[in-house]
Amino acid sequence: MIHGDTVDGFAMSFWADFWTLNFIVAGGAFALIALVVAVRGVADLRAMLAALRDEQGPR
Amino acid sequence: MNFSILDWVIVAVYLAATLAAGLAGKKYISSATDFLLAGRHLGKFIGIATLAATEIGTITFMYNAELGYKTGFSSFINGLISGGVMIFLGATGFMIFKLRELGLTTVPEFFEVKYSRRLRIVAGVLVAVGGLLNMGVFLKVEGTFLTIITGLPISNLKWTMTAILLLELLYTVLGGMVSIVITDFLQFIMLSLGTVLVTGYVIWTVGWHHMQNAVMSNMGASGFSPITAPDYGWAYIFFQLLLWMAIDTCWQTTAMRTFATKDPDTSRKVFFWTGFIFLGRGMMPMLWGIGALAYFGPKHDSLQAMPEMIARILPTGVLGLVVAGMIAATMSVNSSYLLGWSSVISQDIVLPLRRKPLGAGAQVVLNRVVNVFVSAFVLVWGLWYTLPGPVYFYLNITGTLFLAGAFAAFIGGLFWRRANTVGGYCAMLGGAVGSVTYFFHIPAAYAGISAFALAGVGMVVGSLAGASRKYRLE
Repeated sequence: MIHGDTVDGFAMSFWADFWTLNFIVAGGAFALIALVVAVRGVADLRAMLAALRDEQGPR
Repeated sequence: MNFSILDWVIVAVYLAATLAAGLAGKKYISSATDFLLAGRHLGKFIGIATLAATEIGTITFMYNAELGYKTGFSSFINGLISGGVMIFLGATGFMIFKLRELGLTTVPEFFEVKYSRRLRIVAGVLVAVGGLLNMGVFLKVEGTFLTIITGLPISNLKWTMTAILLLELLYTVLGGMVSIVITDFLQFIMLSLGTVLVTGYVIWTVGWHHMQNAVMSNMGASGFSPITAPDYGWAYIFFQLLLWMAIDTCWQTTAMRTFATKDPDTSRKVFFWTGFIFLGRGMMPMLWGIGALAYFGPKHDSLQAMPEMIARILPTGVLGLVVAGMIAATMSVNSSYLLGWSSVISQDIVLPLRRKPLGAGAQVVLNRVVNVFVSAFVLVWGLWYTLPGPVYFYLNITGTLFLAGAFAAFIGGLFWRRANTVGGYCAMLGGAVGSVTYFFHIPAAYAGISAFALAGVGMVVGSLAGASRKYRLE
């Protein structure tokens, strides 16, 4: 465990809590955004391919 | 051998699906813009997928885990800066908006628009050299990961990486950016799944408090505070802020996503949301490295500790899924980097040096030929070059070789009417000189800061000394 009863200990305790919080935000955001992109990216991909096909015109 | 038949089947099915999807992109190519920028049709979600997949590779996991193993929780500062800068750029649109408005294809193209054709060629050479040296170490590091985690004999490393490179080359040469975007989407899903799975297993198996205690007992306060950690400190943090601003705006593979979106507002949104992914892109693999420190202790090889731990803690089936995710990450990065550096060589060096312009079909052929050349270089360089220090610092400095000058010249070109060609040359020269000091035993933070400082001073002094030129940036 990280103890906060010395100057070094206080600094460690502060940074340990700070990085724990950061990690929770980073990991949670990563998983959530990945999920949304995986679901809604399909429509985007189709739109991109349709636009490229339209530009080519009849062959 | 760590891999079971089930693991091999999962990897083989994934590779076959990727190749098929990649080859499907070929039929959509009818111009150089289609080949290099997917016709500038990227929407927000596919933009996030391709930008994230391009900048998350096995190499990313390896160097971030190495930082975690060596510097503990302090290493998280790197993830925080990389994500934070990207979120800031996305929220404000600073530079991103304007760059997309200009309708560029490559980063050095801006130098011809604002400065001169010759400076574009000089910038192109520096970008290509820095980019190729940077990418040159990817194969060896990625191969190390895959060899350890699958349990393949080390003698198979070269053949394994050659086969993966040829697979990437095949669909990149044929379908360009369109194939890359399609495969990036699949690869983004796989690598995200792999990243979350490994993170969950590491926390579950090693334990959060065990990791904190391992860092505390091996590194003390410097394992938590990036201010007091010997490898970091304020100078390093300042360097990283500048570096990530430059990477997000001037790094060819990132900039290609800016240029390829539907419009400037989409670019801004892509950056904002990808910034959150970048927080996890840094911190999660760094935690794997910290987990490896707790698992093996401090005397293990810093680069190999993370894959060795993963090979031991993941069960059959999950290991196959994770390796498929890592191969996905490897392929998405390498294919995008192949296209990125090839496009600079073809568009910013070969074409400007030719007196006669090339037709659309010939430009696509030229890009394909350069793709093959870049692959051959990466293969040879990756097999014999030995890294001078941590992978992350080497990648920083080879990138800074051109990023410092390019960033100063970009800022000057976009926001300072007095900026001129002489200033552009001085910025590129100053940035390159500052960054190579790293190879003469100057610490990465000081080499990096001196590169940005010399580039900035070069831009200002050179522009003031050179003749002013009226221009209209449209």
